[in-house]
Amino acid sequence: MSNYVVVTGASRGLGLAICRDILNSGMAVVAVARTYSTELQDLVASFPELCHFIQADLAELDAIPAVCKSIVKEFGRPYGLVNNAAAGHDGVLATMPNGEIDSLMRLNVQSPMLLSKYLLRSMLLNKKGRIVNISSIIAKTGFNGLSVYAASKAALEGFSKSLAREVGKAGITVNCVAPGYMQTDMTGDLQGEKLASIQRRSPLGKLASVEDAAAMVSFLLSEKASAITGAVMTVDAGSTA
Amino acid sequence: MNIEQTVKRAMHDVAELSDCQLIEPIKSDTLLLQSGLDSLGYAMLVAQLEEELGIDPFTELAITVYPATFAEFVAVYAKGLEQQSQ
Repeated sequence: MSNYVVVTGASRGLGLAICRDILNSGMAVVAVARTYSTELQDLVASFPELCHFIQADLAELDAIPAVCKSIVKEFGRPYGLVNNAAAGHDGVLATMPNGEIDSLMRLNVQSPMLLSKYLLRSMLLNKKGRIVNISSIIAKTGFNGLSVYAASKAALEGFSKSLAREVGKAGITVNCVAPGYMQTDMTGDLQGEKLASIQRRSPLGKLASVEDAAAMVSFLLSEKASAITGAVMTVDAGSTA
Repeated sequence: MNIEQTVKRAMHDVAELSDCQLIEPIKSDTLLLQSGLDSLGYAMLVAQLEEELGIDPFTELAITVYPATFAEFVAVYAKGLEQQSQ
C-alpha cells in the first residue's frame, strides 16, 4: 500500500475524525481500535482501497511488537503514526483505584512509546516519516480531577520533544497536537454550566471541534509541515490564550 | 549467505543510508559503536535486519543489554534464527 498512516483509537471521536481527514487528503489509513464501531465500518466501506481496520487492545503492551510486525508485513512501511488512543478516567487522586492509574499510564504513555519504537524503524529506513501524538491542553493547564490524565499527556509531550531530536536526522518529525475541550465521548461527563463556562470564556466563543483538531493532525502529516518538529500545536479556540 | 555476511552487508547498506563511513575491516571484536555507525545507524541496522530476516531478536529474546561487539551482535541474530526455526 502506498503512503499510509497508522491511527490508534480510530473507532470514534477524534480518532475517527483524524482517519476521515487523512483519507480525504488522499492518503491511506490503517485504523487500529479495540472495537470495530459502526462509524468506522462505514468509513472503511466508503474508502475500501484506502482504509483498513486492525483490531488490537493497545493496553496489552506485550502484544504491541506483534501488532506492529503484522501491520508492516501486511501493508509495508508506514509513512506516519498518530498516537490517539487514550483513556481519560477522572476522579480525585486520593480515591482513584491504583489499578486505574496503572492502566491509564500504560495506555496513554507506554503504548504510544512502544508503537513509536516499532513503527519508526520502517520510517528510519525510508528516511522520512511523521509521528503525531495527541496530547491535551490539560498537560499544561491542569484540571480538577484529571491529575493522572494530565501527567500522562505531559509525559507524551516530553517524549515527543526528545524523540524529535533523536530521529530528526532521519527525516522523521515528531509533534503533538493539544486539543482543548471537545464534544467527544471522553468529555461526555463535562456538561452543563462547566462546559458552558469554558465555551463562554473562549476568545472565539466556541469549543474546538474534533474536525478542527483532525485538520491540524493532517497538516502535521503533510509535506507542508516538513520544518516542524518537537512542537505542540494547540487547537482550543483560544481557551488557553 | 551466512548470518555474519548478512549482518556485514546490512551494515554497509545502512552506513550508506545514514551517511556514515564504516571502518574496514569489521572484525569479531570490533565495537559496533566504533564501527562508523552512530546510535541511529545502529537502530537502522536492527530495522534493516528485521525486514530481511523477519526477526527482532532483542524483543523476542527479551535482551536487556545490547551487544557491544560485532561477534556478540551476530550471535544474538544466530540465536534468534535458531529460535525461529524451532
